[in-house]
Amino acid sequence: MADSTAAAPKPSSSVKLVLLGEAAVGKSSLVLRFVNNDFQENKEPTIGAAFLTQKCNLPTRTIKFEIWDTAGQERFASLAPMYYRNAQSALVVYDLTKPTSLIKAKHWVAELQRQASPGIVIALVGNKLDLTNETSEPADPLNDDGDADTTEGDDSSGDARKISTAEAKSYAEEEGLLFFETSAKLGTNVTEVFTAIANAIPETSLKGARGPGATQAGAGSGANDQSRVSLTGPRDNASKEGCAC
Amino acid sequence: MFSNLTSLVQKAQSLIDPTQALNISASDRNPAKSTLFRHQFRLPDTQTPLQEITAELTISPPASVAANATQGEKDRDRDRAGYHYAGKLHLSESYLCFSTQPTSFLQTASTSTSSGFTGQTHGAGPGGNGFTLPLCAIRRVERLHSQSYQFALAITTWNGLSNASVSEAAKSTVHQQKLTIQLAGTRQACERFCDGLKRGLKSGVGEVGKLKRVVAECYSEYLLQGEGKRIGDPPDAGLGMQFRYPGDARKLRDRSKMRLWGEYLRDNGRNVTLVRQPTFHKLIRVGLPNRLRGEIWEQTSGSLFLRLEQPSLYADTLTKFEGRESLAIEEIEKDLNRSLPEYPGFQSEEGIGRLRRVLTAYSWTNTEVGYCQAMNIVVAALLIYMSESQAFFLLSTLCDRLLPGYYSTTMYGTLLDQRVFESLVEKTMPILWDHLVKSDVQLSVVSLPWFLSLYINSMPLVFAFRVLDVFFLEGPKVLFQVGLAILRINGEELLDAADDGAFISVLKSYFSKLDESAHPKSENAKLRAVTRFQELMVVAFKEFSGITQNSITEQRMKHKDSVLNGIESFAKRTSIRNLGPDSKRLSVDDLGALYDRFYGILYERQQRDQMIKEETDRRAKASRAKATEVVTGLGETQSIEKGRVGLGPSPTLMDYDGFREFLAGMAKWATTDLPTPPEKVGDNEKHSYFGSSMKRRESSLSPWGFGNPEPADHEFMQRLFRRWDVDMNSALTLQNVVSGLAHIKGKGDIMGSITYFFELYDDDGDGKVDREGILRISEALLFLSRRGLEGSLTPSSSMVGLSEYEAGNGARVDNAMVTTNERFLSSVSAFIRRCFEYADPDHPQNQTEPIEAVDNGAFSIGEDEDEDEDLLDLGDDPDTKSAKKAAELPAVPAPSDQPPNSDGQRRASKAHAESANAALDPSKPLHITLPTFRMVVLADELLEQFFESSFPASFRISDKLISASATNSSSLTTFSNIGFGRSTGPTSQGGLGGIGSAGVVPPGKGLRGVLDNIVTDGMRVAAEVRRRMDEAQKELEKNAVHRPDEEEDDEEGYDPPRISGGYDGDPERRSVRSEDRDLLEGADAEAGSVKSPEGVSTVTQTGLSPLSPPETFRPRTASTATQKVVEFER
Repeated sequence: MADSTAAAPKPSSSVKLVLLGEAAVGKSSLVLRFVNNDFQENKEPTIGAAFLTQKCNLPTRTIKFEIWDTAGQERFASLAPMYYRNAQSALVVYDLTKPTSLIKAKHWVAELQRQASPGIVIALVGNKLDLTNETSEPADPLNDDGDADTTEGDDSSGDARKISTAEAKSYAEEEGLLFFETSAKLGTNVTEVFTAIANAIPETSLKGARGPGATQAGAGSGANDQSRVSLTGPRDNASKEGCAC
Repeated sequence: MFSNLTSLVQKAQSLIDPTQALNISASDRNPAKSTLFRHQFRLPDTQTPLQEITAELTISPPASVAANATQGEKDRDRDRAGYHYAGKLHLSESYLCFSTQPTSFLQTASTSTSSGFTGQTHGAGPGGNGFTLPLCAIRRVERLHSQSYQFALAITTWNGLSNASVSEAAKSTVHQQKLTIQLAGTRQACERFCDGLKRGLKSGVGEVGKLKRVVAECYSEYLLQGEGKRIGDPPDAGLGMQFRYPGDARKLRDRSKMRLWGEYLRDNGRNVTLVRQPTFHKLIRVGLPNRLRGEIWEQTSGSLFLRLEQPSLYADTLTKFEGRESLAIEEIEKDLNRSLPEYPGFQSEEGIGRLRRVLTAYSWTNTEVGYCQAMNIVVAALLIYMSESQAFFLLSTLCDRLLPGYYSTTMYGTLLDQRVFESLVEKTMPILWDHLVKSDVQLSVVSLPWFLSLYINSMPLVFAFRVLDVFFLEGPKVLFQVGLAILRINGEELLDAADDGAFISVLKSYFSKLDESAHPKSENAKLRAVTRFQELMVVAFKEFSGITQNSITEQRMKHKDSVLNGIESFAKRTSIRNLGPDSKRLSVDDLGALYDRFYGILYERQQRDQMIKEETDRRAKASRAKATEVVTGLGETQSIEKGRVGLGPSPTLMDYDGFREFLAGMAKWATTDLPTPPEKVGDNEKHSYFGSSMKRRESSLSPWGFGNPEPADHEFMQRLFRRWDVDMNSALTLQNVVSGLAHIKGKGDIMGSITYFFELYDDDGDGKVDREGILRISEALLFLSRRGLEGSLTPSSSMVGLSEYEAGNGARVDNAMVTTNERFLSSVSAFIRRCFEYADPDHPQNQTEPIEAVDNGAFSIGEDEDEDEDLLDLGDDPDTKSAKKAAELPAVPAPSDQPPNSDGQRRASKAHAESANAALDPSKPLHITLPTFRMVVLADELLEQFFESSFPASFRISDKLISASATNSSSLTTFSNIGFGRSTGPTSQGGLGGIGSAGVVPPGKGLRGVLDNIVTDGMRVAAEVRRRMDEAQKELEKNAVHRPDEEEDDEEGYDPPRISGGYDGDPERRSVRSEDRDLLEGADAEAGSVKSPEGVSTVTQTGLSPLSPPETFRPRTASTATQKVVEFER
C-alpha cells in the first residue's frame, strides 16, 4: 500500500449511484463488470442491496462511485427508497430481450423523478446486448458457454432482442435520460455508461470526498488511481475495491 | 389517509370494550393463550390447550450411564431413581406436553401467567426441559401406586418400536422409554386430566400409521439401529449425503458430536418421543452433527409436527399443481441457478430439482407469499441437511411463525424487524448508534440481508448453520442477539468507519475471519483456541441475554404502524403513478384522494365483514359451547388486520356494494333516502366518510358500518358500475375507478359530459336510446339532483340576488339553492317531454306525430319567455307569476299536492298530451340519438349547467363530503322543518312566513327535506309513467274525459289537516285543488300514500302552525312537476 502521491492529485469527489430494474436483468453483473471487470454466469440474487465502490477518472477530476446495487424482485421495491435516498445518479436497467422489464424500468424512472433528490442523473441501460445479433464485439464465441443468464428461451434464433433501440432511445430522450445498450457479459459499453454519468454530474452537486472515510476505506485504491487513467481500456483486477454483502 | 384510518380505528377501538379491543387488533401485544401455548410447544395451529395440571416428571435412569461430557449435569439432576423435573403438564387435542417453565395457558389464567415465563421462548419453542409428545406416540399409560401422590402415570412410548419392520431385530437393543409422571392436584382435577388423556389417546390410535411413516424419514431411527445391524438405506438426510456437507467434518468434530447425540437420543427418546433435558440444549449450542441436523431442526422448530399432521401434503401439492404455471414459478426459475451456486449440490440437476420442487410446492400452498428472493437461499441451505418434504414443512414454519411477514409481498416483517433492530442498537450501543446517525450510515443496509437470509449468505456456511441450530430452538430473538453481538464485537472499528462503504468492509472482513482465533496473541492456550465465532456466540447469548422474545414483540408493536405507513405511502405512490394515461386527467391530489377512498372502502368493508363474522361466530359459540371449550382462537385475532395494504396482498377489487359505498362517500346523491338511526344525528364523527364504523360493536353489524350513510342503490349507479367495469369481471380496480372518474371529471367540457351520459344509457352502443332509456335518463337526472345541485350554476332570472343571499345566513343560501333545484325539476320534466317530441321513430309511419307536437307553440323548445311558466306550470296564473318574479323566488301560492292549474293550462296540456302520448305508444317504438339528446339538453339552461358543471362536480374527490350524512338524516327524518328556510324570503309574501316559522326548527334543514320529497315524488311519477306506458293507448281515450269526483274525495282523506292548518283563505290553492287534482291521479296519489308516515304527520304538524303558509310551497311544486308528466297519459 505504498501510496505514490507523486502526481498532483486531481479533485476527487464521491457520487452515490443506485441501480434499479427488474429481477435478473443484469444489474449486479453490470456492477461486477464495472468494478471487477468480471462476469459470473450464476450470480446469486441480490438480497436487499449490495454496496460497491469504484473510481472513475475524468480528465479534470476523479469520481468515486458509491454503488448501491439493489434487489430486483417486485416485492423488494418498497426497500428501494432506503437505497436511492440521496443518490446523485441512477442506472435504470432493463433486459432488451424482455419487454416487461422496460415497463418496470419506466416505473423506476418515474419513481426517481418524483421521489429521488432533484437533479439526479439517470441513465437508462438495456442490458444483454450479447443476446442480439448486432453486437459489435467480435466476441461471439463467448456465447457458446451456455446462456444461463437468459431466462427466456428463443436463444436458438440468434436474435432475442425484443425492444428496439429506437423505442428505448426515444423514451430516454423524452425523459431526458442518458441511454446505452450494454452487455455485462462481453463488457460492451459498460464503462461508457459510468463515464457518461460521471460527466453528466453537475460540478455543483459534487461534494468533496468524505474526509476520514475516504482516507480509510479508500486508502487501498488510492494507489491504483493513477494507473487507471484510461477508462475505456481494460482495467486490472487490482482496481477492485469494496464488497458485496 | 391510512394513518388517518389507523388512528380512527384505534380511537374507535378504545370505545369498544377494552378487553375485546385487545383481542381484535392487538393480537401481538396480547396474544391468545392458545397462541402462546402453540408457540411454547411448537404445535400446529390445530392445537388448543385443553387441560393442564402441575406435575413432576421422573425419567428412569438410562440403561447405560456412560461417563461422558454431560455427566455432571446428570448427577445434579439425579436423585432417587432417575431425574426429576417439576413443571406443568398440558394436554391438547393430540399432544401431551410438559415443560419445567411454570406457564399456564388455562382459559382462566391471566395472560401474564401465560406469557410471563415464555419470555425467552414465546414464539420460540421449548426452552425448558420437558417434552412435546404426540398422543399417537404413546403406547401405553399405566396408573401407578404412589405414596406421595395420589396419581402417578407411567407412560410407555413407541420409541424405537414404531418401525414395525425392524422392531424384531431391534427389540433387544432398544431402550424402552418409560416416563413417570406424578400429578399434583385434587383428586377431581387429576381425574379430569386423566379422562381427557384417555379420550385423546383413543382418538390418537388412528394416527399411529402416520406416525410410523413420518418417523421412518428420520435419520435418528436409522442411527439408533446400531452399527452393523442397520437394514436398508439410510433415510434422506439432505444433499450433503451425496455432495458432502459443508465444512471439514474432522474440524467440526462431527464424529464425536454424532456419538454424543446417539447416546442422548438412546436415553431420552428420538424425534417425536424426544425428552428435553439440559444436555439437549448444550448439545445444540455446540453445533449439530451433519446427518442429524435436519431432523433436530425439524424437531425444535416444530415443523415435524406439521409433517405429522399431513405427511403427504408435500407430495400431494406437487401432484395437484403439476404442470401449472404461475408468476411465482417464473420468479423461482430465474433464481434456481443462483442459489448457493458454490455448493456442488446446486450445480447439479439433482439439487436444482429439489430446490425447484420445494419452492414451487410452497408457493402453491401459500399463494399470498408465493416466492420471495432469499427464500431460494434459505431453502437451498435447508436442503443440504434435510429431505424435500422436511424442508417444505420447515419453510412453512419459517414463513408462518418464525419470520412472520419477512417474505410477504410487502416484506413488512423484514422492514419491521430492521426497525426493531435499529432501536435495539440504539438502546444497547448508544455511542455506536450516534456515530451511525452522524455519518449517515444506514444500518439496515448491512443488517437486512442478515435477517432476510438468516446469515446464510453473510457468514461462511458452517457458521451460519450454527446460528440456525440455535435459531430453530430458541426463535427469532437469536437473529437479533447475533446481530447485536456482531456490532458489539466490531464496535471500535465501526466507530472509525465514516461511510457505508467502510462500514460494510469492516463487517465483511470480520465474517471472513470467523474461524480465526479471537485472541491470537493470548498467552493462555485455551483462550487462544477460542474462535471468533465462539466469541460471537458467547457475546450473543450471554451479553445480550436480555433480548427476549417479549422485548422484541414489544418493539415490534411500537414500530409496526410507522413501518406499515411507510410501505403504504410507497405503495400508494407507485400505484398512482402506474394508473395509466387516463389518470393524467386528474390532479395528483385527486388521485391520492381516490386511492385513499378506494382502499379505505375495501379495507373498511373487509374489517366490517370480519367483525360481523366474528360477532356471529362469537354469539354462536357462546350459545352452544361449554365455557371451558370457548377458545380465543388464533384465527380471529390474526386475520383481523389482514386488509392493510402494508401487510401484504390485500383486496384490490371493488364489488358493486363497495362501489355504492364508494360513491356514497363522494357524492351526496349516492346515499340512500331511508331514514338513518336517530342517535347519529349530531354526532361529529360522521363527518369522516368511513370514520365511525367501528364505534360500537353491535352497530357494526350493519353491513355499511355504524354511522355511515347507507348507500343508495339506483339504476344509474349500476350503469355507472358496468360502464367502469371495462374488464367485465363485475368488480372494479382502482384503475377502472380512476379511468371512469377521469372521463366524467377530467374533460370539463359539456359535450363530453353529455356524450358520456348518453352512452351510459345506450345499452347496445348503436347510438340510440329508446323510450325506456329516455325515462331512465330522466329518472337518473332526478336521482342525481334530489339533494340539490352542485357546481357553478349561473344565477338566472329567478335567481337574481342570489349573491345577496349567500352573503346572508345559511338558510338563505339554502333557499336559493332550493330554487334552483326546483327549477331543475321542471327542467327534467321538460326534458322528458322534449325527448319524446324530438325522438326519431323507429318506423317511418310514426313520423307525423312528433311533428305535430312541435307545432304546439306552448311547448316548443327555445321559447324562453314561456319556459319558466311552462316548467313550473304556473303559466296561466298571473298572480303567481308576478309574485314569483317579484320575490325572486318561485311562487308560493299553494299547499302541497295542490298544483295550480287553470283551464288554459289544462287545455294546453291536453293538446300536448295527446301528441306526446302518441310518442308513448309502445306500439310505435322510438329513440333519440346523441345529437337529439344534446339538443334537448342544451335547450335548457339548467340542464346545460348540470352537464357542464354540476354533474362532474357532484363527485367530490378531494374534499370530504362533510354534510353527506347530515343532509341525509335531516332531510329525511326531520320533515317537520318544511318550508322553514324559505320563509325568510324578502318579499311580502315570504316575509309573512318568515316571521312565523323562525325558531321553529333549526335553520338549513327543512328545505332539503321538502326538496327530497319533491324529487322522490318526481321519481315516482316517472316510474309510474313508465309502468303505465303499456296502457297508454287505452288511458288516452279514457282520460279524455274528466276524472270522476271520487278520486278527489280519496285525496281529501289525508288532506284536511292541511286545509285546517290555515289555507282556507288562499284562493289559489282552492282553485288548484278543485281543478287540477284529478291530473294528479295515479302517480301522485300513490306517491302521497306511499310516503312514509312521518311525512304525512309532519305536514300535519306544520300545517297547524297558522303562520307558516309558505311551507306548503314545496310539495306543490312537486306535484307541478308530477302533473306535467302525468299529462302524458291523457
